[in-house]
This record gives sequence, structure tokens and C-alpha cells, in this order.
Amino acid sequence: MAGLAASFGRGAMTNHFNDYINTDVFLVIGSNSAETHPMAMKWINEARNKKGAKLIVVDPRLTKTAAHADIFVRHRPGTDIPFLLGIMNYAIENELYHHEYLVKYTNASYIVKPEFGFKDGLFSGAKLDNGVFTYDKNTWQFEDDGKTIKKDPTLQHPNCVFQLLKKHVSRYDIKTVSEITGVPEKVYRKVCETFAATGARDKSGNIIYAMGITQHTYGTQNVRAIAMLQLLLGNIGKPGGGVNAQRGESNVQGSTDLAMLSHLLPGYLGVPNATKHTNLQDYIEKETPASGYWKNKPKFLVSLLKAFYGDNATKENDFCFDYLPKVDGRDHSHMGFFQDMYDGKVKGLIAWGQNPAVGGPGAAFEREAMKKLDWMVVVDLFETETAAFWHAPNVDPGEVQTECFLLPAAFSFEKEGTVTNSGRWIQYRYKAVNPPGEAKSDTWIADRLFKEIRRLYREQGGAFPEPILAMDWNYDKPGHEEPDIAKIALEINGYRVGENRALDSFGKLKDDGSTACGMWIYTGYWAVDQELGVPNCQRRSTEDSGLGTYLKWAFSWPLNRRILYNRCSADEHGKPWDESRALFRWQDGRWVGHDVPDFNAKVVPEVSAETPFIMLPKGHGRLFANNLVDGPFPEHYEPMESPVTNRLSKQQNTPCAAVFKGQWADLAKVGDAKYPYVATTHRVVEHYQSGAVTRNNPSLVEVCPWMYVSISEELAREKGIRPGDEVWIETARGRIKALAQVSPVVKPLKVNGKKVEVVGLPWHWGYQGIAMGATANDLTPAVGDGNTKIPEYKAFLCNIRKVQGV
Amino acid sequence: MAKGVLVDLTKCIGCKGCQTACKQWNDLPATIPDFDNNLTYPADTDAYNYTTVLHRVVEKEDGQETLRFAKRQCMHCQEPTCVTVCFSRALVKSPEGAIVYDEEKCVGCRYCIIACPFQVPKYEWNDALKPVVSKCQFCFDPRGKHDRIGHGMEPACVNACPSRALKFGDRDELLKEARQRISSDSKYVNHIYGEKEAGGTNWLYISDVPFEKLGFRTDVSQTPLPYYVHDYLKWTPTVFLGGGALFAALHFYTKRRNEVARAVEKEEVAE
Amino acid sequence: MTIGKLNFKMTPARKVLLFMAALTLVLIVYRLVIGLRPFTNLNNDWPWGLWIAVDLSAVALAGGGYSLTLMAHILNIRKFKVVARRAMLVSLLTYIFVLLVLFVEIGRWYNFWRPFVSWGHHSPLFEVFVCISAYTLVQFVEFTEVATEKVATNWHKFLKKIMPVVVIIAAILPFGHQASLGAIYLATIDRMHGLWATTMIPWLFLISSFFVGPAVVTLETLAGGRIFNHKVSIDVLRSLIRVSGWLMIAYLVLKIGDVASRGVLPQAFSGSFEGNMFLLEMVAGVIVPIVICFSPLSNTKGGLAAFGLLTSAGVVLNRVNVVFTSLVDFLGNSYSPSWGEWAISIGALAIIALAYLFIMENFNFAGHDKHQTAS
Ligand SMILES: Nc1nc2c(c(=O)[nH]1)N[C@H]1C(S)=C(S)[C@@H](COP(=O)(O)OP(=O)(O)OC[C@H]3O[C@@H](n4cnc5c(=O)[nH]c(N)nc54)[C@H](O)[C@@H]3O)O[C@H]1N2
Ligand SMILES: Nc1nc2c(c(=O)[nH]1)N[C@H]1C(S)=C(S)[C@@H](COP(=O)(O)OP(=O)(O)OC[C@H]3O[C@@H](n4cnc5c(=O)[nH]c(N)nc54)[C@H](O)[C@@H]3O)O[C@H]1N2
Ligand code: SF4
Ligand code: SF4
Ligand code: SF4
Ligand code: SF4
Ligand code: SF4
Ligand SMILES: [Mo]
Repeated sequence: MAGLAASFGRGAMTNHFNDYINTDVFLVIGSNSAETHPMAMKWINEARNKKGAKLIVVDPRLTKTAAHADIFVRHRPGTDIPFLLGIMNYAIENELYHHEYLVKYTNASYIVKPEFGFKDGLFSGAKLDNGVFTYDKNTWQFEDDGKTIKKDPTLQHPNCVFQLLKKHVSRYDIKTVSEITGVPEKVYRKVCETFAATGARDKSGNIIYAMGITQHTYGTQNVRAIAMLQLLLGNIGKPGGGVNAQRGESNVQGSTDLAMLSHLLPGYLGVPNATKHTNLQDYIEKETPASGYWKNKPKFLVSLLKAFYGDNATKENDFCFDYLPKVDGRDHSHMGFFQDMYDGKVKGLIAWGQNPAVGGPGAAFEREAMKKLDWMVVVDLFETETAAFWHAPNVDPGEVQTECFLLPAAFSFEKEGTVTNSGRWIQYRYKAVNPPGEAKSDTWIADRLFKEIRRLYREQGGAFPEPILAMDWNYDKPGHEEPDIAKIALEINGYRVGENRALDSFGKLKDDGSTACGMWIYTGYWAVDQELGVPNCQRRSTEDSGLGTYLKWAFSWPLNRRILYNRCSADEHGKPWDESRALFRWQDGRWVGHDVPDFNAKVVPEVSAETPFIMLPKGHGRLFANNLVDGPFPEHYEPMESPVTNRLSKQQNTPCAAVFKGQWADLAKVGDAKYPYVATTHRVVEHYQSGAVTRNNPSLVEVCPWMYVSISEELAREKGIRPGDEVWIETARGRIKALAQVSPVVKPLKVNGKKVEVVGLPWHWGYQGIAMGATANDLTPAVGDGNTKIPEYKAFLCNIRKVQGV
Repeated sequence: MAKGVLVDLTKCIGCKGCQTACKQWNDLPATIPDFDNNLTYPADTDAYNYTTVLHRVVEKEDGQETLRFAKRQCMHCQEPTCVTVCFSRALVKSPEGAIVYDEEKCVGCRYCIIACPFQVPKYEWNDALKPVVSKCQFCFDPRGKHDRIGHGMEPACVNACPSRALKFGDRDELLKEARQRISSDSKYVNHIYGEKEAGGTNWLYISDVPFEKLGFRTDVSQTPLPYYVHDYLKWTPTVFLGGGALFAALHFYTKRRNEVARAVEKEEVAE
Repeated sequence: MTIGKLNFKMTPARKVLLFMAALTLVLIVYRLVIGLRPFTNLNNDWPWGLWIAVDLSAVALAGGGYSLTLMAHILNIRKFKVVARRAMLVSLLTYIFVLLVLFVEIGRWYNFWRPFVSWGHHSPLFEVFVCISAYTLVQFVEFTEVATEKVATNWHKFLKKIMPVVVIIAAILPFGHQASLGAIYLATIDRMHGLWATTMIPWLFLISSFFVGPAVVTLETLAGGRIFNHKVSIDVLRSLIRVSGWLMIAYLVLKIGDVASRGVLPQAFSGSFEGNMFLLEMVAGVIVPIVICFSPLSNTKGGLAAFGLLTSAGVVLNRVNVVFTSLVDFLGNSYSPSWGEWAISIGALAIIALAYLFIMENFNFAGHDKHQTAS
């Protein structure tokens, strides 16, 4: 998501599932939609069947998605950057990019400071302090004349972004890419031709990705490469185009929007820093950009504070800004947190709808860390591996001192509320059945927990009780046990203080304390649709004006916009790139179209064309992005564990990777003979995540009971392994047993002239539930992306051995 | 009007949604099947799975492997061998063309199992006292509990399919549609599986991979097997009535002849 | 051991048989409550196994009952009447055996009566079921006609009166079910090996059951004669097997003609498992007996015994080939009978053998119909 925000301004899927119907060419890379997003796959196939759309699938494994591909490319895990930069190189060399789009809507013409450079795999500004690598981004800035950035609309200036990009990607010629990725040149060329063809004005190319892209130490740069390719081909903002990050859990988009990440407040407002932001003014001055829509940030923050603290938040007391929790620069991401836990710095854990004992990297280590806790509360549907970490195999419960609590939660069908899907649609769901036994909805649990904590603070005091005591918390529904969802929804949506009506636009939010809003990007979702008489998120009208935007079905954030950056669907003068897919048209002095404008529709097209990416300060899509830690352009590095040396530079791994201490961070050497095979982890359609839910469901267990490992027929022959044999999979972190699936699902690849075997591991098993099996994450390394800290689940080294004796 | 389902294997993504929907709708218990290298679980339909989605690695024309998935279940034959051979009418054909089993009438002889040309019916071997023959009922239940078709709904599996690989409708219409799909897209092999097999089935399949590669029997007799049986059984009355008459005649004739012969003997002796 | 007019001699062999029979009854009850698995090795590929093969063979071997009824009572060939009764007895006992095994074989045994009320008349199995039930009843009447010579004698007269009708029914019913047993396999004809996959199968079953009848009667007479010291003249037996002989020639011609006309004859000589089994069935079970039958060997007890044995074995082999050999290529070889299947098959024979010995000792089945000759 960081890669998307850095490129376009928002970290969300640009288009939506139904819009896939408008695509000409799909490039599905690092996503197995058929298994992980079956309903999205439906639209891909719909476009193929109805319009003859082409499907390219890039995956190390022959997946169920690849089974439907027109071109299936088997590549080596962790080599997506060369793969994508190579397509850019091909498009530039053959002038297949969308020139007009590039000049108008992206920063291709911006001129970068002359000091900027790239050498030996590193960008200018590299610094090593106490073994900590960072970039000084001063040289990554644009030249300006004090006010405006210097540009060259001809794209000829040697230091303009386009020329720099051209030079950067020129090293990724077809042969080189083929040697790094293991993709035969012929196949790769075909991919380049097919996808680069969507650079034509009237063609829409759609890149779909998911965890195969993000779960790498350079995952953010993988996403950047995708975003850049789409900008180059002019595919953003168009129907059937976009960068479509297919998000995971049914409501993960919603939980990210609502601040699930440790560095964010609701609505993507950064968490204040304890030293950097001493008061509200300080925060506003330092964090509000001068241009772009984020210049409204103070309104969103103040409204948020009003929602949090109600009447207690006044102008005089900085709207209780001081009560907000602050970060201190330490790593509070998943791995950082578990590292601290292992080191005894974290005393208690509430695992609320999470099962890290199976899902976390180096899961065996994470289970060790849990033993150091004083207490643990698990809020879950089942007694998960996490809840039961103290009676895992080989653990003596007597030695574990942690006090554990398990609170039974209600499942999604057992409660009501909204779910935000990957396409940003906020949809209301009603309760289907009552929760069993003593299970309660998460809102109920949160409500009671908060009230009890407040009571204790009120009665017993504490170090800093004010933030708790000042909290505006009243969601009771008289006569009901469950909190009132409508009250919560209204607060998230935003309202004028003193009024009880949902605002219909975040444009109406104020920074003077007259409005309260729990999450500005959702404003409008609870406002009542006048025609249908229900809150927008409860709408169910299948009426459509032709392009599949379904504007009266649910509510899509922001402001019901279905395709983000949709100003780019038409040219400077408001003429759609493709008449048959005209999302907007400037006609008779106004915009007509099928979507809600994601731009200022009140001005003439030539003006809105100046800032089509409204969330970015300069309003232009970023081919060159200077706000990530690891470089303005993506560059190929090897995964932290790799069988080969980096063919492109001396820099073997990304210098900015997040690394940790302990056995979970042990790594194999480059080309380690002890661990010769490349392993990757993946999902299967039958199971969900850590398997807590699915491995407790008999009919889902039945359709996929056994943990297995996919190995190639060649490898099986070499090792004397037959289908169904039990094998050891060993890594530098540990070893697990699984049954061998011998199948051309995986095949050896030719990398730098060397044969490289690929091994696939699903990661859904653990030691609880009906179907038990080894946990793949006992093998994965604790290394992560420098920007997001996402672990490198998708490329590591292993060995395979047949379990001897029966 | 015979109802049917058109299964378009080019659209199936192997999600097993149909399989689990069938299980839920029909209240079938779950088991833990053995490991299968194709990840087809269970590897074949069984007592508790009316349907299973076969997973197969197949080679394309260019020599590259790919995956294909095929939901298997009772084909609902137009001339069902199982119905013909069932001697207690536990298997019957509904007016809609569904072949429906009624456990109350079943003797458990398993003739239907050996007779089905598609090896569909499966036996509940492990049940000691009330073992049933198990097969897809086309969501048709004369007793009501699991009935969908009778209530004007489409089958549970069809309803669950996210990729429109399954289409429910009148067989004639589906056949037309299948022909149309095949002729409008060269990827299909020119074979509607079930159009002629076993004399025609209500479930029809089209595919871009030859059916034998997916483990479908392509040598199924096109003459419905029940024809052979009828052909034989039609002689039954003749045999019984004709034979009965003949034997009666012979009996009395030979008896009389013997008596006469004996009488003659006696006379001769007397003489 | 004596009960009223009936008595039963105890010998060590009979004690063994009794023990086996008792054990079998226990096993049968066990099987009925425990279900088909784990008792049998039957599975979805092989839903039918040893018991079906045993039943098919047994019904064929019981053919003597109706072939002799036909010859002795319908055609009134006098010299065959000497063996007609014992043929009928053996046949009856075999049918009881068959019903017993069938009862154990069906999964929902408490539902065995269903087809009587819910007629699946389009099934060959329905015809088999109804005919066998009826035929067993008819034979039972025939049996009581003899038994009432000794017990419940006041019924004898009545039974004797209805005998002609009973006899005609008894002759005709097996025509239906012997052929229908073959017709059962018309339903699998497209999966069977070419050497057996023929629409002629009902008629082949019928003819073979007819000619195997005399062979079994011959064997039984030779064996029973030794045990009970009842002599039947070789002449009668030779005439009897000659009837078989002629039918076997017809059968041979029909069979070869059928296989040849379907173009699968070469498969018999292909050296495959199926080919060899077919050759064995035809040569040992049909051709050699024919030779014996029409050679001087048929004048010797040894010759008669060899004929009886080979012909019976040939027909059993034919049924086994139909049930197993013809389908093994299609269904795979995932089945071999469990010990339980063997035990019940063999144990049920013990029960029948006991019944046979008891009846032969107490009733007049050895001799021919005295009343008829006396009149
Ligand atoms: N049935 C099911 N559906 C799910 C989930 C589930 O657990 N089960 N989980 C949900 C969640 S939370 C998420 S995040 C999504 C994830 O959805 P996906 O990302 O689609 O799922 P994965 O199987 O983890 O990874 C996708 C593919 O990436 C491939 N891959 C591995 N390494 C590489 C690489 O280096 N490069 C590229 N290009 N591909 C690589 C894998 O072979 C795999 O096929 O799915 C969601 N949907
Ligand atoms: N090797 C490897 N590891 C991975 C990945 C990978 O691709 N490879 N993918 C990663 C990704 S993308 C993700 S998202 C994580 C997921 O990792 P986790 O989030 O730890 O895994 P889940 O199984 O989704 O855990 C969700 C828990 O919530 C419970 N639950 C479900 N519904 C509710 C509810 O309504 N209320 C409450 N309170 N609990 C509920 C479930 O029973 C389950 O125990 O795993 C990561 N781990
Ligand atoms: S969210 Fe539910 S319905 Fe949608 S694709 Fe996933 S499993 Fe299917
Ligand atoms: S497929 Fe088999 S079980 Fe289904 S109707 Fe046809 S014969 Fe009967
Ligand atoms: S097993 Fe049941 S359904 Fe099948 S043929 Fe026998 S009686 Fe009919
Ligand atoms: S039609 Fe009904 S019974 Fe048959 S497979 Fe589909 S869901 Fe199951
Ligand atoms: S539900 Fe549809 S797509 Fe999924 S396995 Fe079944 S037929 Fe295939
Ligand atoms: Mo995820």
C-alpha cells in the first residue's frame, strides 16, 4: 500500500472488481485470484469470455489462476522488479508508452537535481551509521525556481524523470531479465509485446497483484514498479485499467482505513511523534502539505479529536491533542513487537482476531516469545494455536508462566455492521444467526473492556488517566445488550456537533471544532440516500449506466468514487481516451459520465488536468518518488536468501531491509549448498489464513485435509520421493514435515545458466483444529520490507529430504 | 421438459464451492480423505460426497502443462441404467429428468453401482444398519427436506458457482447453447459430453481439453444400456406363457403317450 | 439321534459339519449387524464380489432340478425319473443356499421384501428375484410332496393332485431366471471384456445351466450312491450326460459363433489373462467334456465323474469369468474376497450339506417316484 500511496497519493486499489469487465489485458502478478479472490476471478473470466480480454499470469507456480492464462510465466520468486522494469524498458525502446498521458499526468517531465545519481546498485545519498543504512534524500529532489518545479515537456532533458527512468531501466533488457528470472526469452518477449500494447490510448491494461508482490524485503518497490509501468502506459484512472491490489481479509481495507497499522490514526493521519510534535500546532505545521488535498489535514484531525473526546475537546486544550498516543521512533510493527516481547520488554498481549503462532514469520520463535509474557488475552472464535501456545507440541505447559484468557467472539455472520472490500466498497451486512454460547460481537467486547478499564482508572487512578477518562464513549442502545451500530457509524461518518445527521461530504468538515468525524475518508457512507431511503452503505440497487460502476450499490470511499484518479480517463480537454469506455466527457460546458469525479469538476478540464492526482502535493503521478526509504526508482536486489548472486550489481540485497535478531532471523548464505532450493509460501482456496476457521470446519477440512509441499517431478526423481511421501523441509530457522505433492505445479528454472528448483508451501496448518499439520512459518525468516516491515514470506532457501523409515 | 446443467470446464476455477454447497445443502457428513497428489478431495465421489471436483494436470498443444478442473456427479441419464436395474424402484426418474434415490425402498443390492456406466452411485459401506446408495439427487427430494428443483430453485452447486461454469436450464436449450459456444470459440473441442453418451444425459459438459485427458470415459456405449435389457426382458411373457403352454402340452402329450404305450405293452403281454 | 420318525446318524465328519454350521450362523448374524465393511472387502469399484459369483454359479449348478423335471416329468422320459427326485432335492437345497448367501449379501437385509411391493419390473434382477422366490416355493411343494410320504401324510394326496401344475411351473420358472441371471450383465456390457460382452449372455447362461444340471446330478448320484448305497445304472447316467453333450455342442457352436461374429475371437489367443481364462473355460469346461461324453469313457464311472466335474467346473469358471475376469480390466484389481466372505460361503455349504444328509436319510429321494411306477 505504501508503494501506491507514494505513486498516486492513496494506498488503495485504484479500480474495483466489477470494473475488470472493461479490461483488455490483465497482468496478474503475485496474485492467485482464482484461489484467494474467486469473486474477482469471475470478473477476469467475464472480460475474457465477453470481450476476448487477454490474461497474463506471472507466478512461480502453476496456479489455478495460471490455468486460465493466455500466457503463463513461471518465474523465480523475488524477481518481479526485473520482470516489470524490463517491460518498461521494452515499452520505452519501442515507444509504446502513452506519451501524452506521461507529459500531462505524471512527473515524467520534472527535472531532478543534477546531483542525483545511481551507481553499483545504490542511489546517491547512501549513508552507513553504526551499521544502519539510510539514504539522505536531498539529491532525490526536483529542481525548482523557488516556487515551481522545473519541467521539460519534450521529455528530452537528460535529467528529466523520463530520461532518468529510461536510463535506469535500459539495463533490464530481455536477455538480462530472462537470466535473472528464469523466464525463457521468447515467453518474456511475448509478455512485453502483449502488455506494452496497452500503452495505446484506447486500450486498458490492468495489473492485479497481491502477496506475491508485497511479501519481499523490496515489496514496496515491487509495487512501485507496477505503479510506474501503469503510469507509463497511461493505464491509471481508466475503466479497465489501474493497479489493483487485491487485499486480503474481507475487511482488511476497512481495518487499515481505521488505523490497524501502528503508525497511523484513522483515515491515514500519521500518529504524532513524541519528540517531533509537541502540540497540535506543531503537528499541523509539520504534517500539512502546502498543496494537494492533504492540505485539509487539520480539518480531519480536529474532527477526529472531536469524535474521540467530544465536549472535552476544545480549542483551548488543543482538542485534547496531548491525549493521543505518540510514537517514539521504535519499531512497533509486527516483527518489532515480537522482538521486544522476546526480549522481555512487552508484558502483555491482546491477540484480537489474529493467530501469529501460525501466521507470523518464524512462527516457532514467536511462540517462544509468547512464553515470556505475563499475560495474554485472545479474542477469537476458536482456541487457536496462539491461544494454545502453551500446549503446543514439545512445550511443557508447566513451564509456561503466562496467564491466558480466551474471550469467545462472534463470527461475521453473527453480528451486523459494515465491511469494506478491496475495491473500497463499504457494504452493510446483517446478522444471519445468533452467536453460539457466550460468544459476543467484537464491539460488545471492546465496549465492555473500555468501560471496565475506565471504571478502574476512575476508581483507582493511574499514571495518566486523562486520555481514558476524557474519552467520549456512549454507544449504548437502551434495551439492548449490543452497542448501537448506528451511533458508531454516525461517529465514523461525521456530523455537525449538536446535530444528529450524517454529513454527506468531508468537504464539510471544519478545523474549528464544529464538526466531529471518526474517519474522514468514509464521510457520506452513513448519509441517507434520498431516493432509496437508506444509508448509502446499505444501498443495493443494481442499476447501472453501462460501465459497471453501480453507483447506487453500497458506498465507495472516497465520496462514492468508483475509479480513483478518474480525471485521467480523458485527455486534457476532457475527451475520453476511448469512446467505447468513456467514464467522463466534457460536454456543453460540463462533465457527463458514469462515476463521481475524483477531481474538481467545477473548473474547466484544462485546469483539473493540471492536478489529476489530487492527493499528491504536486498533483502528478510519480514515476520518480522521493518519499520512500529505499530509492526513487525500484532496483533489482536478491531476496535475503538466494541461490545466486545479484547479476546486476555488487549490492546483493536491498540495503534498507528490516532485519531482526535471534534464530528466526538466521539466514542461509548466498548459494548455500545446505539449502539449495528456493521456497515460497502460498494460500489454497480451501483454507483461510492460519486455518483457525477453516481447519475447525469439517466440510472445509474434508476438501483439503493435508499439509503438503509441492516439488517438481525432477526433484522428486532425484531424491527418490514419491507422491504422498513424508518429507522434511529444512531452512536455517528450523524444519517441518509435510506430504510431498509431486507435480509440474512447480518446475526447475534456469537462472544465470544454473538450474534452480522451486518449492511451494501452503501455510495454513497448525497444531489446533480438526486437521492438523506443520506450520510453514516455522521456516520463514524474520526479515522485512524497509518501508512497511512486511516479512519476506515469499522467497527463502530450503532443503528437502525424504523422511527415512516408516 | 428435461432439466439439465451445462458444465463449461473452460470456466471452472476449481474452487470447490459447488462441492461444499452440495454438502451443506444435503446435510452430508464430512470425512478426512486420504492424501491425493492432484489435491482432489475426495479423489472420487463417495458415500458422503455427491460431487467432487477433479483436479488434473494436462498438457496443452504447445507441450506446456496446465490445470483443469471438472466437477463430477451423477450425469442424470436420459435412459438411466441405474433406474432400469433397480428391482425395488428405489431409483426413479422424475418428470424433470432427475434420477432420484429413495433409501426407504432400497434393498442394498448394489446392482445400480455396478450397472452405472459412469460409476456414479457409491455405497455407504461403513454404515452397519442403514447403509444408503449415495449419488447426486439433482437437488430433488420428493420428501421435501432437501428439495430445490421442486421449489423452482436451481441446484445448490449451480447457485454457489462463482465463475458461471455451471448453468441450469432445459436440456434442449443448454444443448443449443453448448453448440453455440463451441462454434463461436475455437478453443473448445468439438464434443458435448453427455449429448450422446449412454444415450444422452441431462448434465452436459464442454471443454477445451479432450475429455479422456480429464478422466472422463469416452468409450461409453452410445446405445443406452437399458435397451439391451429391455430387448431381453421383452421376451419374458413369451417365455413364460409360451413355455408354460408348450410344457403343459408336452406334459400331457407324453404322459398320454406313455400310458398308451404301457397299455399296449400290457395288452401284448396279455396276449 | 432320533426325533419321532426322523433320525440322524452322528459321525465325526458330521460333527465337524455341525460345528461349522453353528459357527456360520454366528458369523451371519455378526455380518448382519456389523454391515458390509469391515466384514467384506467389497468397495465402490467392486460392489459385487465372491458372494455374487458363488450365487451365480450355484444357481447354474442347481439347473439339474429343472432340466430333470423337464425331461422326467414334462417329456416323461421314463428312465430319468430315477434321478429326478434327488435332482430336485439338490436343486432345492442349492436355492436355499443361494437365498441364504443373498440375504447376507444385501446391505439392507431387513428390506429384502421391498421388491414384492415395489416392482422394479424393468430389472433383470426383479425377474431373478421373483422367479427364484417362486421357484424355491414350488420346489418346496415338490419336496413336501415327497416328505409327506413319511410325515404329515394326510397332505400327501392333495399335493399329489396338484403335482402336474407344480411340475409345469417348476420347469418353466428357471427358464426365466437362469437367462435373467445372464441378463444382469447386459447392463455392464460396455465395460466387459469382448470375450464375454455379448447380448447372447442370457441365452448362454440358460443353455449352460441346462447342460450342467445332468452333470451335477451325475456327480451327486455317484457320490450319494456310495454314501447311501443307492445304485443308479450307468446306462441312465450316460443317457443323461448325452443330453448334456448335445447341448454343449450347440453351446460351443453358439459361443464360438458369437465371439467370432463380434470379431473378438483372436483375443482368445492373445495370451492375455482374459484370453487364457476364456480358453480354459472353453477347453476344459466344454470341449473335453464333450469328448468324454461321446467316447467310450462315458461307459465308466470314472468317465462319468470326470464329465461331471469338468462340466461343473467349466460353468463355475464361466460365471467367475463374467463376474470378475471380464471386468478386471475396467474396474482394476482392488478386490479380493475377505476371510469372512469365504467363511460364509463355505459355512453355508456346510449347513446345506447337513440338510442334504438328513433328508436323504429320512426321506425317499434316492429312489425314483415309486408311487408313479406302482400305479
Ligand atoms: N482461500 C483463501 N483466500 C484468501 C486468503 C486465504 O488464506 N485463503 N487470504 C486472504 C488474504 S489476507 C490475502 S493477503 C490474500 C492474498 O492473496 P494472494 O496474494 O493471491 O495469495 P498467495 O497465495 O499468498 O500469493 C499469491 C501468489 O504469489 C505467488 N508468488 C510467490 N512468490 C512470488 C514472487 O516472488 N513473485 C510473484 N509474482 N509471485 C509470487 C504464489 O505462488 C501465489 O500463487 O488472499 C486473501 N484470500
Ligand atoms: N508464510 C506466510 N505467512 C503469512 C502470509 C503468507 O502469505 N505466507 N500472509 C500474511 C498475511 S497477508 C496475513 S493477512 C496474515 C494473517 O495472519 P492472521 O491474521 O494472524 O491469521 P488469521 O488466520 O486470519 O487470524 C484471524 C483470527 O481471527 C479469528 N476471527 C475470525 N473472525 C473473527 C471475528 O469476527 N472476531 C474475532 N475476534 N476473531 C475473529 C480467526 O478465528 C483467526 O484466529 O498472515 C501472514 N502470514
Ligand atoms: S470474500 Fe467470501 S465470497 Fe468473496 S471471494 Fe472470498 S470467500 Fe468468496
Ligand atoms: S449416471 Fe449412473 S447413476 Fe446417474 S443416472 Fe446415469 S446411470 Fe444412473
Ligand atoms: S442398491 Fe438399492 S437403489 Fe441400487 S439397485 Fe439395489 S435396491 Fe436399487
Ligand atoms: S445438483 Fe444438488 S445434489 Fe447434485 S451435485 Fe449439485 S448440489 Fe449436489
Ligand atoms: S463452483 Fe464452479 S468454478 Fe468452483 S469448482 Fe465448482 S464448477 Fe468449478
Ligand atoms: Mo493478508
